[in-house]
Amino acid sequence: MPNLFTLVLQIAVILAVCRVVGTLFLKIHQPRVVGEMFAGIMLGPSLLGWIAPQISAYLFPPSSLGFLNALSQVGVVIFMFLVGLGINPKELKEQGHAAVLTSHVSITAPFVLASFLSIYLYPKLSDDSVAFTSFALFMGAAMSITAFPVLARILTERDMLQSRLGTVAIACAAVDDVTGWCILAYIVLLIRSAHIATPIWLTVGGLIAFALIMIYVVRRLLQRFETIYRERGAVSENVMALMLLLVLASALCTEWLGLHLLFGAFLMGAIMPKEPKFVRYVLDRFETITVTLLLPLFFAFTGLRTNIGLVKGQEMWIYCALIILVATTGKLGGSMLASWLAGMPIREAAGLGTLMNTRGLMELVILNIGLDIKVISPALFSMMVIMALFTTFMTSPVLELICPEKLIRAVPKQVPLPQLDLKADGSAA
Amino acid sequence: MSRTNRNFMIAYAVLVVLPIAGLFGVLKHGRSLAAPISVDGVWRLQADSNQLAALPCGSSLASTQYVAVTISQSGKNFTLSLNNGPKATSSGVLEGTTLKAAVLPSAAWASQEGCGTDHVLTLNATVDPKSEPRTLAGLLTVNDCPSCAPVELRAVREGQDGGKKSH
Repeated sequence: MPNLFTLVLQIAVILAVCRVVGTLFLKIHQPRVVGEMFAGIMLGPSLLGWIAPQISAYLFPPSSLGFLNALSQVGVVIFMFLVGLGINPKELKEQGHAAVLTSHVSITAPFVLASFLSIYLYPKLSDDSVAFTSFALFMGAAMSITAFPVLARILTERDMLQSRLGTVAIACAAVDDVTGWCILAYIVLLIRSAHIATPIWLTVGGLIAFALIMIYVVRRLLQRFETIYRERGAVSENVMALMLLLVLASALCTEWLGLHLLFGAFLMGAIMPKEPKFVRYVLDRFETITVTLLLPLFFAFTGLRTNIGLVKGQEMWIYCALIILVATTGKLGGSMLASWLAGMPIREAAGLGTLMNTRGLMELVILNIGLDIKVISPALFSMMVIMALFTTFMTSPVLELICPEKLIRAVPKQVPLPQLDLKADGSAA
Repeated sequence: MSRTNRNFMIAYAVLVVLPIAGLFGVLKHGRSLAAPISVDGVWRLQADSNQLAALPCGSSLASTQYVAVTISQSGKNFTLSLNNGPKATSSGVLEGTTLKAAVLPSAAWASQEGCGTDHVLTLNATVDPKSEPRTLAGLLTVNDCPSCAPVELRAVREGQDGGKKSH
């Protein structure tokens, strides 16, 4: 049984620290979520455990962390459903070739660069229980992800959601997330299949069957939710409970099939009806409790697993700097190059690259999975968390520097990107 | 095929397909790389309790029926923590199959035994990469204590598949 006093105390401390740090970050023009991520790190061994080990040991005894983790995972399951819910494939279709090229390059560039970096890092930061293929693919997936929700938050706060840059960025981030999660699913399958008795073909077959049932059968049934909302202008508590039950059932299915809870939750969100008012309604119902209570617990749990003290010595900090450099070059540089070649003005293309380089919370979710399945070591986990914080933190100031708001809002989304028309010398037409 | 579509295909091939082909090359090359031997996990230590008790700060280790050590590995570096008996954490380095770690008794451990915190226990062991489950054998010595006899110890990793590749 959990020590209820400890658990409630932990929740109270986490909420208080996250709110305070989140508010401070708002004052320096950073999204609150970035501050909350930092707050999580502050509560872990990197700061609290370092400067006040007794308080840290009293607040977060190792025996209590299982309950905190369980609560935070429930939050992440609901959060992944909301991420899937916010993704609309139609948005990408509307953007045409240019966005397709940009989104795909923004995945392949960091992915391939990360795999090259893996050649250098694997002998130094991994061990022989992890195959190089798993290591390199995981590094690729972790570096190619974009934090769709944080990106949406930044665009909303800067009033850029209706600009051309905003819509292209959202569409590309949606593609990146779906692709990134598919690759991660493959890696998790690859690694878990080595430890379970079920043959891999059975697991893969089961997952394909599950995905097909979800897309072609369940998706149609889910339309009923939207119909109810359209007819009544609201959805009853019973219907909301049913929706939540379906999310949990889908999450349990993917876990049972040998993947991970989060994939099922994400898929359920992705196949939900996409009528904007309905999506907003569901987001409003779930977001408050998830964002204000459960996600801070996840940030704290991640912080408790992050020990920046493991990144010690010049050599380790060089690895960390390399990871940040490769992640930024691949994501920012790749997206920028592709969108510029596709006809976007250079400053706007740089702005898109900066936005795509936002990794935030999604990165932390992926890294936690990587640490759980032991494909990355604790030191590499800490370095990747630093990279996630760095790339997310840099988004707002860099965007303001290279792409001022007034410039971006001057190009509404109705102004299409020029048709892809590369000149012989490779410059954009 | 229109000019726009043709250009899109060319750009897509250069910026997306070609790098993916490169990725396969990297993955193929990477298979020949060797990473440090895995020592991550929980190890059950076995040693002569009389010899352990004779060491400064060693009686707590000797009084415990068995001592479990958790190793958290990051490449060649690792942290080591005693799960039961005296609580202590230290860091170490792996060189080939040789594992070296220095355990500094914590203040609580030292005060419990009245042994002082300056007695550094050094673990020097060799991992057998072929054993299943993975085992290690070596010596536990006390620095700056010529009269202290080194203690032979063995350890067996629990709940792991002996360095079996996860893929």
